[in-house]
Amino acid sequence: MFFDVLLIGIMVGAIYTLVTIGYSMVYSILKLMNFAHGDVYIFGTFICYTLLSKYSMNPLVAILIAALLGGLLASLVEVVAYRRLRSEQHRMISMITALGAAYVIQNSNELQWGNQVLAFPSILTAKTFQLFGFTIPITQIIILVIAVSLIAVFTLFLKYHPYGKAILCVSEDIPTASLMGIPINKTITMVYFIGGMLGVVGGILYSTSYNAVSLAMGFRGTIIAFTAAVIGGIGSLGGALVGGMLLGICENFIGVYVSSSYRDPITFLLLILILLVKPTGIMGSVDQSKV
Amino acid sequence: MKFNSLLENPIYVKAGYILAILLALFLPKIVSDMYYLGIVNYMILYAILCMGLNLILGYTGLLSLGHAAFYGLGGYTTAILITRYGFSFLSCLIISGIVALLFGILLGIPTRKVRGDYFCLLTIAFGEIFRLVAQAWIEFTNGAMGIVGIPIPKIFGWSIRTESDFYYLGLTLLGFTYITLALLVNSKFGRAFIAIREDELAASVMGINTALYKIIVFAIGCFYAGLAGSYLAVYQTTITPSNFRLEESCLMIIMVIVGGMGSLLAPIAGVIVMTIATEYFRGISEYRMLIIGVIMVAVLLFRPQGIFGTSAFKS
Repeated sequence: MFFDVLLIGIMVGAIYTLVTIGYSMVYSILKLMNFAHGDVYIFGTFICYTLLSKYSMNPLVAILIAALLGGLLASLVEVVAYRRLRSEQHRMISMITALGAAYVIQNSNELQWGNQVLAFPSILTAKTFQLFGFTIPITQIIILVIAVSLIAVFTLFLKYHPYGKAILCVSEDIPTASLMGIPINKTITMVYFIGGMLGVVGGILYSTSYNAVSLAMGFRGTIIAFTAAVIGGIGSLGGALVGGMLLGICENFIGVYVSSSYRDPITFLLLILILLVKPTGIMGSVDQSKV
Repeated sequence: MKFNSLLENPIYVKAGYILAILLALFLPKIVSDMYYLGIVNYMILYAILCMGLNLILGYTGLLSLGHAAFYGLGGYTTAILITRYGFSFLSCLIISGIVALLFGILLGIPTRKVRGDYFCLLTIAFGEIFRLVAQAWIEFTNGAMGIVGIPIPKIFGWSIRTESDFYYLGLTLLGFTYITLALLVNSKFGRAFIAIREDELAASVMGINTALYKIIVFAIGCFYAGLAGSYLAVYQTTITPSNFRLEESCLMIIMVIVGGMGSLLAPIAGVIVMTIATEYFRGISEYRMLIIGVIMVAVLLFRPQGIFGTSAFKS
């Protein structure tokens, strides 16, 4: 029992990490709470749902199309709602346009797919195998492998690819990066695109492992991503991993051993406590404000 | 801009105030349709909420997305005290405000340590905890069904039944809110927290205890939300957790933004515009959030200071 819960927790944690990475990157560059993140990923998940259940497409192609569309939507939101406000306004203003953008996407999703829980087709096999006397479902292993390899690819991309390095530069200091000849607007749009894509893949993996997709998961995703990012420390990939894993595992243990209806309140309480004890997150560094 | 110069002319402004006060006092005589008066009552309710939120948002620059929770704390306090313990409405009103105030202090304490955006997350978390606990703690709050059958409130023998009775009750509360806030903002205390909004670091260098001021301002803003919640409980006669979802907090923020931050009365303009917009679009209610979202983005892109706001936030 304990082992099963831990395993599911790790799987959920890996998915949360995927959803968190894009969010955390955007936050570290723009210091903007991207409220639309969850609604973008649920849009991609819904697209995937439609492609799979209506057109019975190949799952791999469907995931690819959904991720691309999700990435495009995320960049569109950036161009329309955030770009104009980036430099001259108080940060709070762009946070509120983000909320507005989230509403527009959420409502559009609702018009298209309704607010009921839809049965997401399971794209992975339901087989299990035995290891050291434990029964392990293959689905969870596959999801874990996909999530971890995407995280690894993105880390390598940031470290070695010129575009990835550009992202790191911009997140360090926008004016200086711009002086070095890095196209700021393109880089930021790219961050949104990648963040949206990773989020959509995370959303699809989550939906296929629970066989469900619903509108409410979008907003919950935004909160989860922000919570995980904050717990781990904003802007660092390692932080996203630690935060996502911790959140996934804690959530499952609370859900199983304490009470499922108090799962979310306790998770939020945990967040408040972590913020109080260590406001910069577990892996975060102190950010001193300057005059 | 033409509209701004109109706002700066003292004669027009004074005439506008007098006209508005007269209209407010005799509105139930003019509007006979109970449906429209009901909408006006909701406007008053939101006006109280938004003036409190504006204190937090516009005067200290803290983005609180948990205002609905304080509103809900007030609502549930009144509902439980009236239906189970037979408290009078007036005492419930005061207790509701104080309960919200105390929780405001509790949630305000972290502002000492936590930066702006994290604080925003903290308020979201608090709002969600409140709503989820109200849903899950069935013995105390009756869960998702909510508390029903809240009796007609009586104040000094005046029983408040009709829409126009509630209108005058609401108007009194709104007047109380405005007068207390105006006194607060124009005091030495008020100037201190305006200084914090303009530049927190500079304010602290001037010797203002920024942390303490933020907590107090936040708690006072929450106090008004508690009052509004109490009013909602007796006005609706039922209260459910879904009255206090995050969307409510967002709606209040939009109202404040659309009206204009940092001016006491400006949020009322936002309340009126947003309430009329949502009522007008009721026929196509499935597009409601879409329209609200578009208004939100459009206002901030093209007039970030809001309709009546004096100045936008500086970066």
